[in-house]
Amino acid sequence: MKGLLREPLLHFLLLGAGLFVALDLVGKGSNGDPGRIVVTQGQIEHIAATFARVHERLPDPPELEALIRDHVREEVYVREALALGLDRDDTIIRQRLRQKVEFLSEDVAASVEPTDADLQAYLTAHPETFRVERRFTFSHVYLNPERRRDSLARDATQLLARLKQAGAGADLAALGDPFLLDHEFNRMAASDVVQQFGERFATKLGELPLGEWQGPLESGYGAHLVLVNERTEGRLPALGEVRDSVRREWQNVQRLEANEKFFQGLLDRYTVVVEQERPVHAEGKIAAVKPR
Amino acid sequence: MTRTSIIAALGFALGATLTAPALAAEQAVTDEGVVGKEAVATPHPKQHYSPYAGRSYPTRPFFGDTHLHTALSLDARAFGNTLGPEEAYRFARGEEVVSATGQPAKLSRPLDFLVVADHAEALGTMVEVAKGNPAVMSDPSCKRWHDMMAEGGQTGVRAAIEIIQALSAGKVPKALLDPQLGRSIWENYTAIGEKYNEPGKFTAFLGYEWTSNNKGNNLHRVVIFRDEKSKTDQIMPFSSLDSENPADLWKFLQGYQDRTGGSVLAIAHNGNLSNGRMFALVDFFGNPLTRLYAETRAKWEPLYEVTQIKGDGETHKFLSPNDEFAGYEIWDKANLDMSELKKPEMLQYEYARQGLKIGLRLEKELGTNPYKFGMIGSTDSHTSLATAGEDNFFGKHSGVEPSAGRATHPAAKFGDAVIMGWEMAASGYAAVWATENTREALWDAMKRKETYATTGPRMVVRFFGGWNFEAKNATSGDLAAAGYKDGVPMGGDLKQAPKGKSPTFLVAALKDPIGANLDRIQIVKGWMDAKGDLQEKVYDVAWSDARKPGADGKLPAVGNTADVKTATWSNTIGAAELITAWKDPDFDASLKAFYYVRVIEIPTPRWTCYDAVRFGVKMPPEVPMITQERAYTSPIWYTPAT
Repeated sequence: MKGLLREPLLHFLLLGAGLFVALDLVGKGSNGDPGRIVVTQGQIEHIAATFARVHERLPDPPELEALIRDHVREEVYVREALALGLDRDDTIIRQRLRQKVEFLSEDVAASVEPTDADLQAYLTAHPETFRVERRFTFSHVYLNPERRRDSLARDATQLLARLKQAGAGADLAALGDPFLLDHEFNRMAASDVVQQFGERFATKLGELPLGEWQGPLESGYGAHLVLVNERTEGRLPALGEVRDSVRREWQNVQRLEANEKFFQGLLDRYTVVVEQERPVHAEGKIAAVKPR
Repeated sequence: MTRTSIIAALGFALGATLTAPALAAEQAVTDEGVVGKEAVATPHPKQHYSPYAGRSYPTRPFFGDTHLHTALSLDARAFGNTLGPEEAYRFARGEEVVSATGQPAKLSRPLDFLVVADHAEALGTMVEVAKGNPAVMSDPSCKRWHDMMAEGGQTGVRAAIEIIQALSAGKVPKALLDPQLGRSIWENYTAIGEKYNEPGKFTAFLGYEWTSNNKGNNLHRVVIFRDEKSKTDQIMPFSSLDSENPADLWKFLQGYQDRTGGSVLAIAHNGNLSNGRMFALVDFFGNPLTRLYAETRAKWEPLYEVTQIKGDGETHKFLSPNDEFAGYEIWDKANLDMSELKKPEMLQYEYARQGLKIGLRLEKELGTNPYKFGMIGSTDSHTSLATAGEDNFFGKHSGVEPSAGRATHPAAKFGDAVIMGWEMAASGYAAVWATENTREALWDAMKRKETYATTGPRMVVRFFGGWNFEAKNATSGDLAAAGYKDGVPMGGDLKQAPKGKSPTFLVAALKDPIGANLDRIQIVKGWMDAKGDLQEKVYDVAWSDARKPGADGKLPAVGNTADVKTATWSNTIGAAELITAWKDPDFDASLKAFYYVRVIEIPTPRWTCYDAVRFGVKMPPEVPMITQERAYTSPIWYTPAT
């Protein structure tokens, strides 16, 4: 690892009025004679290919020449900057280096493909994460508290009686007060009910008997008379139904563990001394270096 | 170069030298057509008993953030953000994550979509470990690891551990580090987007930010693809290192579409920090705009990000002196890096309302309106956390995540100009009227401008324009059916008025189900008069609590229930829902005009108030503690036949 970090890993570009600093790996060019800059054919092809992916075409000869000249200029500056030690104690460069090393472990972790057995085990261990949601098919009539004021409760009772009489045939849009969202919802997921009506309404909706006008139920908007026609209970899915989600979650766990293991492996190679006069944390020195 | 000067150079997206901690005739049409026009022609099809069956127009808005940065943005990283795109998506989907400063963070409810829009600059270039490449396979260790990984499962995990151990021990096969073999961060970035995109449930758009900052003037654009990875991986993001000229970005976008058959759009933001460049009368080089410029800009930039953390951009008191609600969350001290202080004459080219007005004049001069944009809000947060709620605000960057002192420390400073932490706006989100929660449906709705901006709350806002709407359309209970059938939605166009008719509008707003009540709905009209002068007027069209306008025509204030000592408020004033039909009383059929809706909530505690209460700190008197959140819809334009 030390070897890796000793490599002339990076250079930085200073652009425009010093508006942006970008870092990248430098090619192998600077390994040998410090007074010699070699731009290999491979590097030139890389420069041209990078240009093509942005500009949708290959650079023409003068453009390529300019790109190579710029590459050389960059290389000169980078070497001089490194020689002057300008990379040291630079927050941006340090963070970019840290990020690059983190990418190494991230990328390795992301490449691991789980087997079906892994996924099934993960699903079994975390059933609630993948639960298929409860769904509701329901109609409602809205009563606007600002319009109804003190007569809200009375109006609700009267309207409920009318709705019970009319049953499923009622023209909902003509009853109650205007409402910007729908009056009928077909197989709406419980989480969507929460999003559109709030938690309290969604909870209450789950407790209502089917096929009968009920209410009023309270939401963030006011009062609602509700007819639940159908409720599909939530259930635990088979792996086939949620494979992509399980895979994503499984990989996320691998990623986090790999990153942590990677860092611990590196940390083990160091003795950390924190010369802090008053430890901020009871566990003293390690509190300051332990990653979250 | 010292550390501070590099940080200063990097301040491009954050603003200057950041201090501690280091930092119709009858038939109305839109540009893009109207959703489900055929279907809504018979909104109550006879064959269905249910009047709602078979509708194809959007019945609910989806809420999201089109502009979020993660640790992959160099400046975000520089301010201490260690959370990458995975955490950003997880947070937006409603999961709890631990912020970069170690604080558990969770949204009040999930967002429906997210664009992780990291800065293109340096995003495409970083090289990672290659996999399965023949040149790598010539190395025996690599070959063995590759085979183990291909086997997958626990064997793959073992391989990963081995590789990591090898890396830890400094025994890295050279082949793995060869830049020629690397995948770019871009491909890794798009792969993460694919992983979290779940059509119907949560949309993860692929996109990035083009960060043009010429002379410190903000011309940034967020680029949003409609497409999947297979198309976006054919390109590398065009960055401001390639060109700072927006016209060159548009060329790139055209090239992308030509090459891949994909679709892409761009959304500009922070005209308030452009020092008069965002809605200018000249192009990047200072030349007068041409018809081609106007057409190209209008083509690629259907929307404008009108509100975000670095200030709200609807309008400024200087531009709209008669608008009592103008000047919301204003940042008007300087340009983005604070290298040039603001001059009043710059303001007219920086704010959305004036930009829309200038567009009318340019349309007359050039034949096309370059500034014909709809509205969205977004956060531009650099914390990987898309927070816009006053009670849950995680700040501009990781250095200003919740802490006792964040409001009263300078957030940015340059010479005499200082922006204090409390000036950050806990804003905003994009609301999109789409038929379903998918990349395609949301993107198409953005393209046709059927969108609105909110400063954080998730209120539902409808706006339709037509020639024959009446009061009964507003109260019938199915406003949208009438709106789509006989008019155009927000973002649409009304052509030459039928003889003797004035445009009529259906407008409605429903409060956020867990938020504050509504104070009022306003319609903002902008037009070019017969002399060619640009005019604007704000109409109160619906309001709560049966208030009566005074003799001066002014509606009395709604009142206030916000208690600064406890950071609470009550919905005992205001309305849950406001609906009306409105006819322009001052219409002149020969003049170009636009109309958009502004919805105002009742007063509620601002984020600074929550900070004061939760941290037990006293805010200086100049710090606003109460806010009135709002929504701005895309306009509906009226264009007479020439």
